[in-house]
Amino acid sequence: MSFTIAHTVDEALAAMAAGARAIAGGTDLVVGARHGKAALPGNLVAIDRLTELKSVTTTKDGVSIGALVTHHDIEMHPLLSTSYAGLADGSALVGSPSTRHIGTLGGNIMNASPAMDTGAPLAVMRAEIELRSVRGSRRVPIEELWTAPGKTSAQPDELCVAIHIPAPATRSNSAYVRLEYRRAMEIAVVGAAAFVALNDDGTIAALRVGLTAVSPTIFTGDLVGQIGRSVSDAAENAAKVSMEQATPISDVRASDSYRRHTVGVMARRAVEAAARRAAGETIAIPVNRAIGIGAAS
Amino acid sequence: MTPSATAQATTRRFVRADGPDKVTGSGRYTADLSLTGTLVAKFRYAQVSHARITKLDVSAARAMPGVFAVITDADVPDVRFGPMVQDRRLFARDVVRFEGEIVAAVAAVDAETAQRAVDAIVVEYSPLPIVNDVESALSPDSPLVHEDWADYGAPGVMVRNRNDASYASIAKGDVDKALAEADFVVRSHYESDGCHAAPIEPRAVVAQWEGNKVTIWTSTQVPFDARAGVCETLELPSSRVRIIVPHLGGGFGGKCGFHYEAHVAALARIAKRPVKLVFSRREEFLAPDKRREGIVYDFETGVKADGTIIARKARLVIDNGAYTADAGFFSQLAAMHALGPYKIPNVLSEAHLAYTNHQPSGSVRAPTAPQTCWALESHTDEVANKLGMDPVAFRKLNAVDSNVEGPSGQTYGEIGVQQCIDAATAAAGYGKPLADDEAIGVAIGWWPSFASASGAYIKIDGDGSGQIITGAQECGTGAVMTLRQLAADELGMQPEDFELVYQDTSAAPYDMGATGSQTLFNNGRAVIAAAGQIADQLRELAANKLEAAAADIVLADGMAHVAGSPDRGVAIAKLAATAANGELLIGHGSGPPPPAAKAVGNTCVGDIGMTAWRAPQFSCHAVRVRLDRETGVVRVLRVSTAHDSGTIINHTGAQGQVEGGVMMGIGQALTEGTKYDDQARQRNAALLEYKLQTCADAPPIDVQFVEIYTPDAGPRGAKSLAEAPNVATAAAIGNAIAKLVGSPVRRLPMTAERVWETINAGNAS
Ligand SMILES: Cc1cc2nc3c(=O)[nH]c(=O)nc-3n(C[C@H](O)[C@H](O)[C@H](O)COP(=O)(O)OP(=O)(O)OC[C@H]3O[C@@H](n4cnc5c(N)ncnc54)[C@H](O)[C@@H]3O)c2cc1C
Repeated sequence: MSFTIAHTVDEALAAMAAGARAIAGGTDLVVGARHGKAALPGNLVAIDRLTELKSVTTTKDGVSIGALVTHHDIEMHPLLSTSYAGLADGSALVGSPSTRHIGTLGGNIMNASPAMDTGAPLAVMRAEIELRSVRGSRRVPIEELWTAPGKTSAQPDELCVAIHIPAPATRSNSAYVRLEYRRAMEIAVVGAAAFVALNDDGTIAALRVGLTAVSPTIFTGDLVGQIGRSVSDAAENAAKVSMEQATPISDVRASDSYRRHTVGVMARRAVEAAARRAAGETIAIPVNRAIGIGAAS
Repeated sequence: MTPSATAQATTRRFVRADGPDKVTGSGRYTADLSLTGTLVAKFRYAQVSHARITKLDVSAARAMPGVFAVITDADVPDVRFGPMVQDRRLFARDVVRFEGEIVAAVAAVDAETAQRAVDAIVVEYSPLPIVNDVESALSPDSPLVHEDWADYGAPGVMVRNRNDASYASIAKGDVDKALAEADFVVRSHYESDGCHAAPIEPRAVVAQWEGNKVTIWTSTQVPFDARAGVCETLELPSSRVRIIVPHLGGGFGGKCGFHYEAHVAALARIAKRPVKLVFSRREEFLAPDKRREGIVYDFETGVKADGTIIARKARLVIDNGAYTADAGFFSQLAAMHALGPYKIPNVLSEAHLAYTNHQPSGSVRAPTAPQTCWALESHTDEVANKLGMDPVAFRKLNAVDSNVEGPSGQTYGEIGVQQCIDAATAAAGYGKPLADDEAIGVAIGWWPSFASASGAYIKIDGDGSGQIITGAQECGTGAVMTLRQLAADELGMQPEDFELVYQDTSAAPYDMGATGSQTLFNNGRAVIAAAGQIADQLRELAANKLEAAAADIVLADGMAHVAGSPDRGVAIAKLAATAANGELLIGHGSGPPPPAAKAVGNTCVGDIGMTAWRAPQFSCHAVRVRLDRETGVVRVLRVSTAHDSGTIINHTGAQGQVEGGVMMGIGQALTEGTKYDDQARQRNAALLEYKLQTCADAPPIDVQFVEIYTPDAGPRGAKSLAEAPNVATAAAIGNAIAKLVGSPVRRLPMTAERVWETINAGNAS
């Protein structure tokens, strides 16, 4: 049993090399342990004081988000909430205000739940995860990170230090939409993200769709077949593809048939919202509140 | 007091006494208590829904270091108990009947040791057939939940038969003949799932023995009932049992009845140490014999072409769960709600309370009412649609009114149901154009007021401040908080001049507790009577000082003065100082409960006294919703309410009650429902899967009161209020959804998926 408070990334890496598990906000790890999901690991290294992992920086390729940036920070960030709007949509839906102030982006990704809300938007934006250990640093395309529910391809001693997202080309943007039974403290029954790039004539130049909670890991599809089509056709087709690709389960939250149907609805709405943003429209974060159900009365 | 005399007193707003403690976190709840040497209690639950115990061996658990007591049925008196049907024991004997039934209890030095000891208890079962469905529970070939049901003690009026724990009917006129004569007959079937009280504070109990007396701190809504339960099951006189309730973190009925006080007291006696039990959220879902009952409904209503209702038949089967708890009267209460506040000449309403292997049902806020109102009011809209009548006009035509006979033969005095319909629909903008996919649903509901014996003391100290020592229990409604206002008004003082002393059964006189919306209704009477005694004393003292007649002394604004001469006065504090050196200012009050109401002309079987309601309350809720047609997700946009609860004594508190009741109703309507697996175990016993509404979901809520001074009711012409606001919300939401979908969603809660299925069924046909 050990509990280390890391003050530098190197201290954290050393602790992890010695077998400690990273704990950031603890909103998955500690809450899960209290609910009997998995016992708290015997050796922990607290990384929450690593200020170097708390910043958002623009680079020549796009943006780098430190692993400890919280959902609240993302939701409020001027650049992320506009140019990377799908990510902000996802973060803005996480839990409650207190969950969003404590929970981190790194924790959300590394927890690898198929219901995580930032996974699908990051995947459609082709984010890369930077992992670091005492042995060195490497970058992994985010889709290659998740291998099964709760499992990643990261080695146990690898710390996620940053999430890198390529800058969106002009006339492109993203959106993330989630089925919600209530407005806070939800967990995705299904969700869908879309990244849309538009040609000058308003037709699709690129379309990628990511699906939450309908398969063991986040599903992502590059719908190259939709290039050149109208947004409305592409949205319909994205819905169809999503329903076909989904392998949902039946559980206490929803039946498989309802999940399959609604993931199509979410995918279509995500494409439509992303396309509106790509065309220059501002839709408030999270898009869930601004479109369809959940709109302000 | 006359209605006009109350006007000035009732407009005062003040901060409730427990508010700052609760908001700042300085308030202390049962789980916060620590006594020297306290042990931790944990229970071993059945975990299976119906089985015979073939082996129960606690020896290994008892032998573990750090374990001070392990007890089972063998270690407590041989008592079968239950408020109506005596069908329950503290610990399972021979048979377990639901997953949350307690088989054994452990007290150990810490939670981990207690849990290890619980796990070390060996229990073996041989399975018995599980009754998982209310309707089949009543079939003659259903397995019995209680083989020995016929031997159980129960009041003579209860009609029981095998799994039917309580049958009740309300019959009036000739319903079959009237149905045959009707121009239209509409039949409907509905089902509602069970749901939970879900208070924010999971329950906690601490027990400590000193000599042969036990003090129990417990998160109960009904301290005197809890004491009675301990006395009955542990065979103790009430003089040896003292119940204290620190701040209570909500109850909503779930903390009514007698729960684990006796288990913890029995552990503490054997362990010879104080013992503390604190429930986890999961236990709070699974174990208490209190959750809102699921019901299956069949309605048949006959109407004339002009829209008048001439006949109604209703048949309800209520899920009692494995033990009857306080649900024995639910059959007749539900039978009343199935008739609703309508003037119907010919009725037959029958309700059965069916044993199943589910968690027992019990009084959760307005038991049987919100779900039965939902079913009946959905049916009412179906009838109106059949007639081609506007549902609000149909209700106005058929609803009861002042001095009109209701469905069970009771004639009401002055009541405000018609005004409630007008006020709520006007606030909602009913009839005005709406946005796409929006609709307004309307429902009316009713709920009785309950009379009970109730007592309080008041004393005024030498410095002129006082204490109200009351038997009433505050469960969050603010009813106890409002007692200060009543005392202040009687004595011409301020609410802030009084401290409330509650809850200690050894200090205060009896009160029924925070149940049946009865606190202010009955304890208010007690406090006014107690304050009246002190007022008389003060008038005597002032009369001596001011050389006037006692009858001419007026108590107002902290002064006693001669009527008509505000200058000839003396401060009440001064009189109190005088009294402190002479005859002390002490008042005690109770007062006779208001008389019972009468029903005439009905013939009932299994009459549990619920066919006539004392000071019935009426309400109308009009709810605007928006439907997402593609997903079935419904959002409530605005809830407009109007309530007739008689005179409103504390407007701030009353508004809070309505808002809270509405939020609970929205949850019941859309997201809150227990799901069972095929082994009758709950599938969603957690707050993520059992979805309460959150602050973020709260819509704007309009609160209006139709204030009618009601004689033979509570203080100053008040009726009750705590439960009533929970009655009509789900029903109004259901009717709004039905307008958008084209047919009602026939199962409660109307989850997004169920709404979607109903839309699809409509599209398919
Ligand atoms: C009430 C509540 C509501 C929630 N609602 C949502 C929701 O709506 N949507 C949603 O997606 N999630 C939700 N969550 C889950 C959780 O809040 C998020 O996943 C959050 O982002 C986790 O971040 P954290 O910093 O708290 O992670 P932690 O609990 O600290 O860690 C989670 C996991 O990631 C690992 N880890 C953390 N940081 C790193 C790192 N830098 N490098 C390597 N490994 C790391 C930990 O070892 C652990 O395995 C909710 C949680 C709660 C308690």
